[in-house]
Amino acid sequence: MSFQTDPHTSPGDFFELLEKSGYRWHARIDSSQAPSGITVTQGTTVLAFHFKDGVIVAGDRRATAGNSIMYERCDKVIPIDDYTLMAIAGVPATAFEMARVLTHNFEYYRRSQMQTMSVEGKIRALSKLLKENVGMAVQGLGAVSPIFATYDLKCKKAAIHFYDMLGADFRISTHTATGSGSPTIRGILEHEDLWGDKPLVERSESDAVTLAIRLLQTAAQFDSATGKARPEDEIFPTVALVTEAGYQFLNDKDLAKLCKSSLKRGH
Amino acid sequence: MFEEPYRWMEAVSTRHSYVQEKLKMGQPVLSVPFNEGVLIMGFAPQPGKIFEVYDRIALGGVGHPADVERLRMTLLDMAHLEGFNRSAQDVTLARLLQFGIAPALKQNFEEIQRAPYIIRLLLAELDGDGHPHFFRVNYDGHWETFKNGTVIAGNEKVMEEVQKKIQDTPFATFPLNKALKETCRLWDESRKQEEDDENIPKTLKEAFDQWYLEAAVLSGKVERRAIYRALTKEEIGKLKSSVG
Repeated sequence: MSFQTDPHTSPGDFFELLEKSGYRWHARIDSSQAPSGITVTQGTTVLAFHFKDGVIVAGDRRATAGNSIMYERCDKVIPIDDYTLMAIAGVPATAFEMARVLTHNFEYYRRSQMQTMSVEGKIRALSKLLKENVGMAVQGLGAVSPIFATYDLKCKKAAIHFYDMLGADFRISTHTATGSGSPTIRGILEHEDLWGDKPLVERSESDAVTLAIRLLQTAAQFDSATGKARPEDEIFPTVALVTEAGYQFLNDKDLAKLCKSSLKRGH
Repeated sequence: MFEEPYRWMEAVSTRHSYVQEKLKMGQPVLSVPFNEGVLIMGFAPQPGKIFEVYDRIALGGVGHPADVERLRMTLLDMAHLEGFNRSAQDVTLARLLQFGIAPALKQNFEEIQRAPYIIRLLLAELDGDGHPHFFRVNYDGHWETFKNGTVIAGNEKVMEEVQKKIQDTPFATFPLNKALKETCRLWDESRKQEEDDENIPKTLKEAFDQWYLEAAVLSGKVERRAIYRALTKEEIGKLKSSVG
């Protein structure tokens, strides 16, 4: 008697397990046509750049549908595992679902295979989901353009990857931004990196956080779909760091102080 | 052949004897509370006794490695699907056992044409309120729950002796180091009650040198979602020098 591994199965693949249990990611694509005039809720400005200790990821909190502001407390930077964050721009429903699948995928892999998934494997996993989502994206119902930030414990290096809607991934060595407010701040990021006091990668955590808060406020100034910080209502941008110690979100108390100091004129 | 009830009962009884005989050499796995969470530990000639199942759930197994692996994967699949479809808060050990593997194990054991699982499982959970839960699952699907920790071993007599000692020890008040030392001491005592076997280490020091100590904690102090943490080589090295 001989045993053969089924070549059609991939050990530790949660997405495959989900499909076996009846979950269908693309069933929605095959049967749906986007009716004209439909407005879907969309996310707006997120950014990431390398700093001295790792990577900073930040995003505004506004979700819009057409001209309407739907929500001012949307979290667009989502933890995937202890060392990985995903920042989303696009349709939150699809993006949140992707994040949920990825979270379970990485944890399921780590627990079942008793080893952490490689950074390359994690990057590929998101690429695969985006590819599965092409139908929804082209119909205008589920386009997502994420930023993926992770820390590679083997190489002792943080990595940022930017994806297009079809699933192609691009490794970013300095900075990236996505969403409707991103064109405003991409130029500033480039300028800061080339001609600022220091290149972004050499900046301290506090300098990096200050810059991120200012960039999001600037984006909000020019893009109606990006929400400003509103300290009086305790609405602050989401700011998180990915370092050798894992991810860490700044809490509201710290953000209140940082917003106050960062947004003061003339500094 | 099995149309008569007596023959079916006889066959089931024979299966009990067969599985118990096969399990006999299984080395104990202990799980106890400590002041910050739950500790699970065991020595074995090969690693592969203690596992993470879900965010707040750990598993220990004795028996045939392939059977332990199969049930581990079943638990993993169930827990992750439930966590994805509902919420991580809905993934509880009681549900996984009562509605998941216990009925399946019982059915498998009583279908006498099928090979029985040669296993005994220990499952530990630290719930969202910080309360520990301990479960012991037998190869026939029978499961029990314990408040102050539990143990599984191949030899039932050894298992019951160690269980009594666990019940009498205030583990929940111990810091991790003390809980580790005390569980090592209980493991050492359990070894002395077993029949002489030249393959089993004679002292704790020999166990540390020749076998693997696997130990993990579910820590209530961790702010992450997943609270399982395997003890590091350094922590085990320190323990070895203090008890070995």
